[in-house]
Amino acid sequence: MLTLRRATRVLQVLNTTQKCEQSFHRWLGPTLRELKRRKDSQGPEKPAHRKTFLEWNYDTEIYAFSKRLGEEFNNDLLQQALTERSYIIREEERQKNVGIEQPTLNLSDNKELVSKGSDFIDDIVKRYLRTVLPRLPEEGIIGIHKHLTSIQTLSHVSFHIGTSDLILCADFPVEKLTLSNVLKSIIAALIESSGNSRAALFVRDFIITQLADKDLHQFWEPDEPIKLLSEILARDGIQSPEPRLIGCSGKNTILACFRVGLYTPDDKQMIGLGFGETVDIAHEMAARDSLRKLFGTSDNILLPFNLKLDQLCASSARNLSVTEWSQKTIPAHPSHFELRQAKEICSN
Amino acid sequence: MSQLGRVKQWNTFARCWHLFDAAWQNPLECAPSIEKYLKGLNKPIYHPLVDCGDHVVVINSKQIAFPGEEWRRRVYFHHTGYSGGATWTPAWELHDRDPTMIFRKAVYHHMKGNLFRRVVMERLHIYSDSNVPEEVIENITNQIPPLRSIPKTLGSYSKEEIEKYPKIIDYPEDFILSKN
Repeated sequence: MLTLRRATRVLQVLNTTQKCEQSFHRWLGPTLRELKRRKDSQGPEKPAHRKTFLEWNYDTEIYAFSKRLGEEFNNDLLQQALTERSYIIREEERQKNVGIEQPTLNLSDNKELVSKGSDFIDDIVKRYLRTVLPRLPEEGIIGIHKHLTSIQTLSHVSFHIGTSDLILCADFPVEKLTLSNVLKSIIAALIESSGNSRAALFVRDFIITQLADKDLHQFWEPDEPIKLLSEILARDGIQSPEPRLIGCSGKNTILACFRVGLYTPDDKQMIGLGFGETVDIAHEMAARDSLRKLFGTSDNILLPFNLKLDQLCASSARNLSVTEWSQKTIPAHPSHFELRQAKEICSN
Repeated sequence: MSQLGRVKQWNTFARCWHLFDAAWQNPLECAPSIEKYLKGLNKPIYHPLVDCGDHVVVINSKQIAFPGEEWRRRVYFHHTGYSGGATWTPAWELHDRDPTMIFRKAVYHHMKGNLFRRVVMERLHIYSDSNVPEEVIENITNQIPPLRSIPKTLGSYSKEEIEKYPKIIDYPEDFILSKN
């Protein structure tokens, strides 16, 4: 509220400006300060949907959206994919409130598309992971798949391709669940518009690439790596590895660092290297490191993202479970390197 | 951060402990190489604002060497802050009072003066002789090579070695080489 004292001060300043000619505007500072105070007293500005702006053309935006993605969409399907059930319910209620007894909206919601898209994403992601990580146990595949298809990841992707302004839904700002559902339905719309292989490329480019630069084992950590490693090696007829302290620095200090190597007792080969602040942690990390090497998921691998639908393995294929994993029974899948080479030869 | 990322970070920033034997070494010449380890200049992760320096344990600082007239000519200045409080102590006198002081001052003055200098100096552990606490010895994992090789003094030769040494002439039996 503009206090009387403050108002008189502004008026005084205004009067003085009229009387004597100043080289600068003496009213400017007090006025801006007053405006700022009034604005602050109103609290932070509420976010407004883009459609409340004057020059909002939904049809143009949808068209531009599909062109931005570089895909050919059936316009009706895309419109349906972006329409949530909550929006239709709200619009019908609105019409009833106005007095229309049988509201007619020529809109259908995306419920079917969501389930279809969801199944498609699950299928493609799992097949991709099983193709590029043939040695990783099924538990790991499921862990990574769970991360890639989580609401968190899908809503992140969906938000950043710009769906949040286009979605027709009751909640504003748009909830994460809605965002991820819409991404699924967009993919389903793409399947029906441009076919499976095009949609698979979409899933690869927008969802699977979220794996780049991430540590794959953060999505699946075996609880007891030392025990698991010796069990796996026992299946191959190798005795449980012997840990050796191969380096330590500042061992009596709080910043002590130990390096532990795991050696096979028979042929004295180092199969894993770990480091950490105590010997136990370093030993555990060494076991994790050798598991990474066995499963082909070292932290420096490059995942080949350039696979197409026909290069993926069949949907029915499964990786071995941890409980039966052994180097002898691992099927002869092409490794990442071979896949990369195959791609290069094809492109040449 | 994943579990591997955490231990990777820990391993990258682990502090090593280096041993340096100061016997027969010129502290002024040693200062640059000691500074390199104290600040971590030899590491690829070095940056002036990154705390990646190592510890250096210097032993036998009592046996440091100065060239020429340096022990007499080199003077360490100190001012108490009161009028007439200035003192000039020759190097030999300072070395008598505290055998670690000359080495510490040599490293300290070689480094550029900034807020990190005293922090870095905390990682320099100087011992006047080779009696170093066991818990410090256990930390050490590396030795910094001495800049100059230690010459063998005449007194360190054993009697057998002197007898075996090839001779050009035989002294007459009544010739006195030394009073001992």
